Amino acid sequence: MIRLIFTLTLGQLIRQRRALLLALLAAIPIAIALLFRFASDQADDRLPEFVAGAMDSFIVAIGLPLTALILGTAALGQEFEDGTAFYLFSKPIGRWQIVVGKLLAAWLACGVFVVIAVLGTGAPLVGQPDEDGLVLAFVVATVAGALAYSALFIALSIRFNRALVIGLAYVFVWEGLVSNYVEGVRFFSLRAYTRGIADALTDAPVEVFEARLDGPTAAILAAVMVLITAAYAIRRLNRYEFSERV
Amino acid sequence: MTTGATPTIEVSDVSRWYGNVVAVNDITFAIDPGITGLLGPNGAGKSTLLHMLGGFLRPSSGEVRILGTPTWRNVRLYEHVGIVQERESVYDALTGYDFVLLSARLHRLPDPAEATRRAIERVQMGPAQGRRTGGYSKGMKQRIKIAAAIVHDPRILLLDEPFNGTDPAQRLQMMDMLRAMAAEGRTILFSSHILEEVERLAERVLVVVAGRLAASGDFRAIRRLMTDRPHTFAVASTNNRALASALVADDSVTGVALDAGQLTVRTDDFDRFTVHAPRIARAAGVTITGVEALDESLESVFEYLVAR
Repeated sequence: MIRLIFTLTLGQLIRQRRALLLALLAAIPIAIALLFRFASDQADDRLPEFVAGAMDSFIVAIGLPLTALILGTAALGQEFEDGTAFYLFSKPIGRWQIVVGKLLAAWLACGVFVVIAVLGTGAPLVGQPDEDGLVLAFVVATVAGALAYSALFIALSIRFNRALVIGLAYVFVWEGLVSNYVEGVRFFSLRAYTRGIADALTDAPVEVFEARLDGPTAAILAAVMVLITAAYAIRRLNRYEFSERV
Repeated sequence: MTTGATPTIEVSDVSRWYGNVVAVNDITFAIDPGITGLLGPNGAGKSTLLHMLGGFLRPSSGEVRILGTPTWRNVRLYEHVGIVQERESVYDALTGYDFVLLSARLHRLPDPAEATRRAIERVQMGPAQGRRTGGYSKGMKQRIKIAAAIVHDPRILLLDEPFNGTDPAQRLQMMDMLRAMAAEGRTILFSSHILEEVERLAERVLVVVAGRLAASGDFRAIRRLMTDRPHTFAVASTNNRALASALVADDSVTGVALDAGQLTVRTDDFDRFTVHAPRIARAAGVTITGVEALDESLESVFEYLVAR
């Protein structure tokens, strides 16, 4: 059943216009990294720092959360909007199966776009002696982040009609400003978890890339967040009154 | 409306409100197999009631049961119930066949392809099953939605305004199909705001107005009630004053008003009035040139039923 919902959702998520928008988001850091590569010397020792910065600033901080936001809120939220969620709700299937199927689809779709972005951005660095496992570290970290963000945004889409706006506020106000500059709340940021996981998996020196959270803490907190938000989404969906938005 | 044993559908003292707005107000009824029409003007609370019957909405008070079990948060319900929502939405990118097949697979049917074939055949959508549902007309969408709702052969079918957007031929075909399903012992409840649809299809009727159950029972009895209510007509003739004085003497006429030459006649015996009025006019030497019912809208009929 989960596989059926997963396949159905994946087909809905990768619609032409949305896929184009997400591809554009993924292309931005790739283009910037390529521009830097062609504009600098072959042996530019600032390359690892630049690539790590591009992956951190453009993918972890912007591309990943926005991609997850677009896909996560669409996975179920769009079905509420257009009324097709009715066809899942009127079947003898557990609400948890709907949430898990939707989450897996949003995660996979988001993961594909961010991994392409990471691989494309890190391409100039591959094969260089000072690569330090940066690309693989960001691949793993963004895939983990994609899961956490997708779970959060799916939960938001069940709770709020304007999940997209609330998600944008979370990404740019909470993660971009509050948790970035207020020391006490740094543990409450999916971006911080993603960076922490990446940092734990790379041997890059601190001047190239450094996270504020250590790897194990970040991984545990990310896993806890996935569990909490997914459990909330299931609980909320169990009590969801279908005509709330009809 | 029930024959004694546990009814298929039971609604007991059910109300539903949204903040201060009461959508459904203390409704009680029971339904057995056969076709029941849920009749009422737009905004009467029909969809809210159907949403509660379908387990999508929690009653604020009271209880809704289908086959003896509460509907709210009961997903097993859908093994026996097929539901057609009013909204036109379908998965636009899927073909009609894939849309119905998806429904069959979500029901975990042992042979989804065969169930899909049967359901599509029943709604006569075979020729269009290979086309994407996004390109379907309203009537075709209604039929493919019904196919998806009956693919698991449900004992109970709930349909919210199923004839919206259908042309007369499609409507007749759907009515025949629903009659055949009812003859197989199923319970079918459909909502409509159009009296003629309910009249043609339903054996029993529930009339809902402003969230309240205004009338329920055999359709003929309700129809009689609607016909026997007081009627008001604007009558035009060659001599309104003479006609007014002649009409007022007849037992079927309960009131006559002549206002700026305009004659308005009120009767509480529709059948007698329609037979007697032309004779009375002829006897008075007056020719009736026009008769217009002033309160024939469905809303006014419903208002009468509520006020009764």
